[in-house]
Order: sequence, then C-alpha cells, then structure tokens
Amino acid sequence: MLVCSSHPCFSSITAGQLGASPVRRRSSHPSPSVLPVFRCVNVLERNVEKCSICTSPSEQHITFQLLCRHGVVKTYNLTFQECDPLQAVFAKHMCPNILKVHSRLLADVMIHFPSSQEEITLSVTPVKVCFKSYTEEDTDFSRTMLTEIQLSPEEFDYFQVGVDSEVTFCLKELRGLLAFAEAVSVPVSVHSDRSGRPIAFSIEDLLLEASFILATLCEAEKEAEPACCPRPRDSSRTGMDKSDQTSMEGASNAGTATSKKPQQKGNTPSTDPAKPSSALAKQEVKNIPRGTERDGPGRAGAATAQAAAGEATEAPYAKFHSLFFGAVSYKEKAIGGTFQSLVTASDTEEELGALQSSPVL
Amino acid sequence: MRFRAKIVDLACLNHFSRIINTIAKLAKTCILRLTVCKLYFILSDKVANGGASMWCELSQGNFFDEFQMEGVAAEHNEIYLEFVPENLWRALKTAQSAKAVKIKLTNKHCPCLRVAVELPSLSSSSRVVTHDIPVGVIPRRMWNDFREPSVPDFDVSIYLPVLKTMKSVVERMKNLSNFIVIEANLSGEMNLKIETDLVSVTTHFKDLGNPPWASEDGCQSSAQGRDLESMAEACIDIKKLQQLLAGQQVNPTKALCNIVHKRIIHFILLHEEVSLQYFIPAIA
Repeated sequence: MLVCSSHPCFSSITAGQLGASPVRRRSSHPSPSVLPVFRCVNVLERNVEKCSICTSPSEQHITFQLLCRHGVVKTYNLTFQECDPLQAVFAKHMCPNILKVHSRLLADVMIHFPSSQEEITLSVTPVKVCFKSYTEEDTDFSRTMLTEIQLSPEEFDYFQVGVDSEVTFCLKELRGLLAFAEAVSVPVSVHSDRSGRPIAFSIEDLLLEASFILATLCEAEKEAEPACCPRPRDSSRTGMDKSDQTSMEGASNAGTATSKKPQQKGNTPSTDPAKPSSALAKQEVKNIPRGTERDGPGRAGAATAQAAAGEATEAPYAKFHSLFFGAVSYKEKAIGGTFQSLVTASDTEEELGALQSSPVL
Repeated sequence: MRFRAKIVDLACLNHFSRIINTIAKLAKTCILRLTVCKLYFILSDKVANGGASMWCELSQGNFFDEFQMEGVAAEHNEIYLEFVPENLWRALKTAQSAKAVKIKLTNKHCPCLRVAVELPSLSSSSRVVTHDIPVGVIPRRMWNDFREPSVPDFDVSIYLPVLKTMKSVVERMKNLSNFIVIEANLSGEMNLKIETDLVSVTTHFKDLGNPPWASEDGCQSSAQGRDLESMAEACIDIKKLQQLLAGQQVNPTKALCNIVHKRIIHFILLHEEVSLQYFIPAIA
C-alpha cells in the first residue's frame, strides 16, 4: 500500500515487485520489501512528519524518506526492476451479480472456515447467498470437515443477482483483501458472474479505490458460451493430474488496481483509464504463461508479484496505478504452458501513453 | 441410529465448548459414547496414544435443552462414534454468540455430526453456519474395548496442588526434561522432580491432604497400613502431564491423583457437571 505524492519524477515503476517480494540489491544481502518502511503504524503516527518518495531514472532505486521529528531523517533506498505492465481487462459493470456489504460481515463469515482452507465456493441465487468449503469429486469426505454459511439477501447493502451461479476462488486471497478493507473500514462490492468468469472485490473511499480480481474455477459442465468463458484446457478438472490441480485449477490471479485520487475534486473514479473500453466488448483472452519461480509449492494463488504499473497520463490527473498479480502455477512449464488468463496485454496503448506493450511471454 | 441435540443457553454452550477444548488437547481422535442420559469421551490405552487413556463423563441434561437418541438396537441403546475433537472444537469456537446450536447425526456422503449454528444477524432471518464433522461408527462388537477403567489398586492417593501453580511449574520443567517423576505420600506431601545430566530440579508441595477412600470390604490393602511418610512415585512423560494441565481452564471442584508405585498415575478432575479421569502409565 503506497502513499503517493505526485512527484514529477515518477516513472513506470514495478511497484508490485517492491511491495510483494524481496528486491535484490547490488550487495549480497537481499533487501527487504517496502513493507518494513511503513510497518509500525504507531511509530509512524507519532514521529513522522512527512514522507517523500522519489526516484531518479538514472539510478535503479526508489528512495523513501521519512522526515521525523527532531530533525531525524530516515532514508530507505530500495532497488527495483522495471518490467512490462500488465492489466486486468475486466468489465465489472457487465457482471450480472453485484453484492455490496460491509467488510466486517464478510470477515465474520470467513472466521468460520479453518485458516488452512484454500478455496471457497460462493453460491448466489435471488433468495440466498451461501459460502461453503470447496469440494471436488474425489474429496475424501470421511476425513474432511465441511463448513457452509448461508446469508439472506437482506444482510447486504446492495443485492443484485442476475444469474444463479456457484463460483470457487481462493479464500486466502480474500482474507488478505478483507484485512485491508477492514483497516480502511469501507464496504466491499462483489461483482461476479458464472463459474470460470472472474470475480472482483472492490473497495472505494475518499482516498483510494482498489479492485481485486480473482479467477474462479471453470467447471466444464457448466461452461458458458466459449466467447465469454476462458477456453478451458483439455485438462479440465477431472482429467488433470491431482498434483496439478491445486496449482492450476484454483487459479487465483489477484489483480489489484489501486489509485489515489488527486486533490482535485472533479475526478470521477469510474473513468479509469487503465481499462480501455474497446477491449471489453469481446473479451479476447490470450494465454499467457506466467513466470512463477517464486511461487510457493502447490499453493493455489500464491502471489508472485508480476507487477505492472502504469502512470495515467491523462491530464490533469496524476494518478498512480499499481497492479499486483498473483501468478498461479509453478508447474506450468511441466504442463506445457498454456494458461487461461484474465490478463491480457493492453491492446489500446494510445490512451496510456508511456506504457509499453506487454509481450506475450 | 439417530441422534439430535440442541443447546440454547449460552452459558451451557460455553461450558460445553470448554470441555471439548480440554478433550481436544488430550486426544487427537477419541470415542464419543452417547446414552440416553450421558455423554462420554473415551480414549483407550492403545500404543498409539502412548498408553495414556481418558474417561470423561457428563450428564446431557446439564448442557442440552433437547436430547434425543436411538441406539443401534433397543437392548443396546447406545451409540459409539469415533471423531476428531479438534473439529468439534472448531465448530463451537465461533458459535459463542449463537442463538442455538443443533447437533445431529447424519449420513450424506459418510456418517457425520452436523453442527448447525444459528447466529444473530442484522436481518430478520438468522445466519446459519453448518459444519459437517466426519465420524466413524464403532460396531457393537468393539464396544468392549471402551469400558470404563477401574480405579487401580493405588499406593497413595493425594489431592493435587492448585492447578495453575502446578501447570506453570510443569511447563518450565518441560523445557529441561522429557520425563517427570511425581512422588507423594499419605502425609499430604508431593514432589515433582526432573533430572538431567546437567541439572535436577524438585518442587515440593505440602499440606495437600489425602482423600479418604471408602474401603470396600476393607480392601484398599495397598494404602492401608502404609507408612505415612513413605513416598510412592512414578516417572511419566512430561508432555502428557502438561497437556492435561493446559486443558484445564477452570479450577475443578476436586483434583486428585492416585499413584501406583512405578506403574501408573490416575488423575481425577471433578467439576460440577463433568468428571475427567486420565491415566498416564509410568515409563519403564
């Protein structure tokens, strides 16, 4: 979570790498990520008067300076690597199912699931909403405790269900974003569709706007028209080797787009330049295998930061976008590298100015 | 075989959850025996448990507002289920503000205890959380394995010191040694001893009191006529003792142990509505 000052010398920064993974310094010691700089909120609140963030294009590092009381200045230099920006192309407003509820309620629901629970299924109908432990055909029921929570539509601040659906996504990612949402204490909007289509959790308040886009399991039997649903691999669920399932099927790309609105009040958050509207009409999905060296073994949705950030060049905004992606599989090489992906290289570069196009890796 | 029960009172629910928590700390898997009047949590002394065994008994009327069961057959009106108490604890842990908790034996994919927790919600209809806990049904021919253990022919019976104190002593001793010797005599004295190559530590307790056991036919021969100062001792696995003490969140009404010299220590912890017996064998 970055607090940005709109400094003229910002350039495209792979903030995700800074935020979510160790950044290697020139020296032999791996340098920690950005988090330790801002970890102690109490200390920050008491001592820090100003924080300045800047970088210079010539040097490969970003400098965080905490200007504290009594003239103390703490300077952190973190190296970074530029990489190609990726963006989630996802039309939230086209989702048939929209739920809005305070993050507290979702957090209260999630405590009933064991912390080791990887995936969760959300089932929505016009009369009820149900979160349940995800099970597969070959789940050993004699050893597994299953939990299910039913909520009535009345509990939601906004409830719209256009299509009955059951979507399965990574619970661990959801817990992370709920912790963030609770810290900010705002309602969470959930946009979802049929299984296989992404599900988006968004939060919004005066200072920031965040969208977390998670992939959902595509059930072959429930497949929608191919144009709209990411093409399932031949190894759709039942055909797959068990060891691959956890890493691939429960695919969770956590895409986070965070932007801070500048001081001018005239901005409307909906005009998000990072999402070119032309691509929405036909969601063309390219298969992009992702580099996954840093993935934790076997864990669906383990986040490897394949981050991209773009700077919106729309005047008069000075928005800072950062995009965090959870890569999916450490085994993708073994499988042959075809991946369903929600993420495409952004096709319409002209709106985005300085962004480079993302090559298919 | 049928079983359904319901708890509505929050204090009862809380108390029941604490008992389950204690059981979960003592046993990874255990047997739940259901009769018309009582529930039993049983751990039999198999090698897998390190020889320790447990018998916990509570009256269902003290906890449940509704309790109906039908055993395997009319003349054997009992149900024996094998389950993981940690699962039940997890289900009850987040139910502490519930309007009602229902437990039912079901058989969807496999035999399960279905715990349905009705939670208050902002809307008119409650939030319902359902947990399906898999259980194994124990066939009647194996029920004999799980009979109530008899009180052993002990050498010394003595009340335990304040459990909180004993727990903190044992926890520190656990860092130094894997085994602990408990010795006690009929003068109300107990020592907890550990000994390693580098150090030996003994904690002494006095004036604990010895419970009077009514002798049946005057048969407590080991204890009768015994020298009051003479210590009976047993060396046991310190981890088991620590688990027993750690699981006690509330001070029991009565806490005592019976020591069979160099054989076994039998702990009895009595609360108002539940009794717990735990047997730890001596290390040879």
